[in-house]
Amino acid sequence: MSEVVSEKVGSPPAAPPAEPRATASRPRRNRIKIAATAVLVLFLVLLPILVGSEVAYLKVAQYILIGAVGGIGLTLLVGQAGQLSLAHPFFLLVGAVSYAVLAGDPEESDDLVGLGLPPLLALVGAIVICGLIGLAFAPVAGRLRGIYLGVASLSLVFLGLWLGQSLEAFTGGTSSGRTPPTFELFGFPFSNAEPSPTLFGVAIEKQQRLWYLFLVLAAISYLLARGAVNSRIGRSWRAVRDNEAAATAMGVNVTRVKAGAFVISSAFAGLAGVMTALWLDLVKPDENEFTGSYSLTVSIAFLAIVIIGGLGSVPGAVVGAAVVFGLQQFFLLGANEFGWFADAEFGGLNAVVLSAFVYGAAVVLVVLFEPGGAAAVGRRLVARLSPSDIPSAPRGGRSTPGSEPERNDDDPTA
Amino acid sequence: MILRRRAGRSATLAAALASTLVLAACGSTADTPADTAAGAGGVKTDKGVTDTTITLGIMGDTSGVFKNLGAAINAGNQLWADDVNAAGGICDRTIQLEVVDHGYKADTAKTLYPQLEPKILGIVQLLGSPVLAALKQNLIDDNVTAAPASWSSEILNNPNIMMIGTTYDLEVINGLAYLQQEGLLADGATIGHIYIDGEYGGNGLKGSKYYADKHGMTVKEAKITSTDTDLTNIVTGLRGDGVTAIVLTTTPGQTASALAANQALGLNVPVLGNNPTFDPALLQSPAAGALGNLYVAASSPPFSSQTPKAAAVAKAYKEAYPGAPLNAGTNVGYVEGLVWQNVLTKACENGDMTRAGIQTALTSLTAVDTEDLVGELDYSSPGAPPTRGVYIAKVDPAAEGGVTEVATVFTAPEAESYKAPFQEG
Repeated sequence: MSEVVSEKVGSPPAAPPAEPRATASRPRRNRIKIAATAVLVLFLVLLPILVGSEVAYLKVAQYILIGAVGGIGLTLLVGQAGQLSLAHPFFLLVGAVSYAVLAGDPEESDDLVGLGLPPLLALVGAIVICGLIGLAFAPVAGRLRGIYLGVASLSLVFLGLWLGQSLEAFTGGTSSGRTPPTFELFGFPFSNAEPSPTLFGVAIEKQQRLWYLFLVLAAISYLLARGAVNSRIGRSWRAVRDNEAAATAMGVNVTRVKAGAFVISSAFAGLAGVMTALWLDLVKPDENEFTGSYSLTVSIAFLAIVIIGGLGSVPGAVVGAAVVFGLQQFFLLGANEFGWFADAEFGGLNAVVLSAFVYGAAVVLVVLFEPGGAAAVGRRLVARLSPSDIPSAPRGGRSTPGSEPERNDDDPTA
Repeated sequence: MILRRRAGRSATLAAALASTLVLAACGSTADTPADTAAGAGGVKTDKGVTDTTITLGIMGDTSGVFKNLGAAINAGNQLWADDVNAAGGICDRTIQLEVVDHGYKADTAKTLYPQLEPKILGIVQLLGSPVLAALKQNLIDDNVTAAPASWSSEILNNPNIMMIGTTYDLEVINGLAYLQQEGLLADGATIGHIYIDGEYGGNGLKGSKYYADKHGMTVKEAKITSTDTDLTNIVTGLRGDGVTAIVLTTTPGQTASALAANQALGLNVPVLGNNPTFDPALLQSPAAGALGNLYVAASSPPFSSQTPKAAAVAKAYKEAYPGAPLNAGTNVGYVEGLVWQNVLTKACENGDMTRAGIQTALTSLTAVDTEDLVGELDYSSPGAPPTRGVYIAKVDPAAEGGVTEVATVFTAPEAESYKAPFQEG
C-alpha cells in the first residue's frame, strides 16, 4: 500500500504548484516508501514462519486475501464505475463451481461432470466464465442505476441458489457438494506432499503453500486494479459515474464502459470464488439464501468491505477485507486461546456473539465518523506527514469540486 | 512520471532482493516422523494424550441456529466426562474436553479447526452438516475420528466419521413402519414428504421413497429451504393430492407451521418427523394445540424416557444445569461420550492410543452397548449405519421435554433390508 505515496507525484494536476518546494523532500519520501513496501512484502512472505505451528492464524490470513480479491472487484464497480451490485456471491459460486468442473477428474464419480483440465487452466477458465456471465448481465446493468441495479443484481443470488440446487452434476448438490481438485502448478501440488521444503525450520505444507498461492493471486489482482484505476479505463469509469452526458460528450461509450466494469468486477469475484473453493476444500451450494458461503450475508459482507475501505479505493478494499473477513475470526481464535467466555453455555454472551457486535460496530463507526472509509483516513495521514507537498489538498481530507481537477478515490493524496 | 516509474522499479528491486534472501534460507528435508511415544502403562500415544489426560474436542453450536440443542449436547458430553472421571478415568487418564463454538458456520469452523486439532485425540461432538462437509478433508488428512451430531447416511463414506445411532433415512423408514403397524397407514396410500433441500432433508427423503416403493405407496415431494416459514400452501397442495400421512424433515418452526395447517385445513392426518423436527419450545408457540398428530422417530430416547440410563442422565442434567432447556440433546451428548468410552477402552487394551490406534479399535467393535441410549452399535462395516433401531415418541405437553415414548428401539423389517448409499455388500 505504501507505493501509493509516490503516485501523487505523478498525477499531473496536483504536481505543478508543488514543484519548487517538493524537489528536496521527494527522494527521501521515495526511500521511505520503498522501505515500507519492502517491509510489508517481507512480512507477508514470512508470515507462515512468524505464525509457525499456529496454522489457524494463517487460515484467517488466507481468508482475508479472499475478501481482498473480491472486495477489490466490487470497489471498482461500486466506487469507480458507480454501479451498485449485490450479486458478488453469485459470481463467487460460479467461479468455485467452474473451477471444480473444469479441473475435476472425469473418473471421480458417475454423477459429477469433470473435464480434467490442468488446474491453472481451470482457474483462468473460471475467471473467464465469470467475466462472460457478467457480460450477459450487462444489458440489465446498463439500463439501471443505483438502488434499482442493486435490487436487480440481487436476483442473481437467488438464481445462484436455485441453479446450485438443481444442477447437481456440476455442483455436487446441497447434500455433500464436491471436493475441488488440488491446485497444481507445473507438477507442484498445493497439498501435503512429501518431502516438503522447509523455510527457517517451518515445513511448507498445504496451508503454507496455499498462503503463497493466495498472496500471488491477490498481488496480481491488486496491481491490475491499480493499473485500471490509474489509466484511461479508470478515467472513463469515473466519467460515467459522475455524469453520463458529459462522458458521452467526451467520447466515452457509456454502454460499453458500464458493461466492461461489470465484466471486470465479475472476473475478480470469480477468482475469489476459486480461492474460496480451495480454502474450504469444498464446493457446496447453499441450503438457503441467508446463510452460507454464497448467500446474501456474503453480499452484505462485501459491501461492508467496500464501505469500510472507502468507495473506489483499491488499498481501502484490502483494509476493509482485513476488518470484515479477519476481525471476527481473529477474535474467535483469541477467545479460544485465552479462554474468554469459556463458561458461557446457555444463551449468554460468547465469543461468536461478541465478535458479531465488534464487526457491526466497526461498520457503524466508519459510516458515522469517516464516511470516506479507510481511504480517507489514509489520505489524511499522508497529508499530515508531508504537508509541504500538497498545498491544494483541503484539510480534513474532504475535497470540494472546484479545488481539485480530478480525484480518482484510489489515490490517498488526490 | 519518470520519478514515479523509478520509484516503482526500486520497489520491485527491493521486493526481488527480499525474496532472494528468503529463498537463500530455504532448505528441503523430509518430514520428521510422527512423534509417537510409549507413555504410561506402555500405551503408544501421539496427539491429545498425555500420561494423565486424554483430551477430546467439541465443535458445537451454542450461538447459532441450533444453540438450544447444541448447548444441551455439550452438557451431555460434559456429564459423561464427569461420570468417567469420577470413576477413575480411562486407561488411568482423566478425560478433558476442549470446547469451541462455531455458530453453525462452515467458514468459522474451518479457521477454528487448525487451532483445536493439535490439542486433541479425537472429536466427541461435531455439530452441523455444513461444518461436517467443510471439515471432511481435514478429518481424513489428520486422521481425526469424530462423532457427528448430524445423522445423514451420506457422510458414511468418510472412514473418520463415527456415527452414533441410526441415520435420517432409517428414522423415516422405521417411523413409517410404525405408523402402518398402528393402522394409521395402508399399502398403496399416498404420502406427502416436505423436506429441506440438503443433506438432512435429502437423506430423509431417501427413506420415505424406499418405504413407499416396498408398499406400493406414492410419495408427493415438496422441497423447501431451511428459511421458509409458512408451509400452509404446501400442505394445501398435499391435501389436494389426497395424502393420508405427511413426513417432515424440516426445522422445528416449519414443523409447527405444517401441523397448524394440517389442523386448520381439516386434513388431520398423522405426521411423522425425525429427530430434529421437534423442539419442546413449540409447545409454547401458537401452534401448540395442533401438535397432537406428530410422531417423532429418533435414534436416541426422548428426555422423558423411562429407559433407566436416560432417566439417570435427565436427572443429572437437571441437577447440574437448573433452568436449562430440556430436550433430547442431553442424551445425544451423553451417548456420544459412551461410545468414545468404548473405543478408548478398547484402544487402551490394544496398547495403542494414537489416532491410528483409535481407528483400529473403532472398526474392531461389533457390539457397543450404550445401556439402550441407542441400539447396539456395530462399527465393523464402514459405510453402513452402525444400528437401525429408533425410538418413537409422540407429542405430549404433560411430559418433560414435550414428548412421550411410545416404542423403544423399534426396528422394522424394511429397515433391516435397506441399503444405505455407501454400504458395501
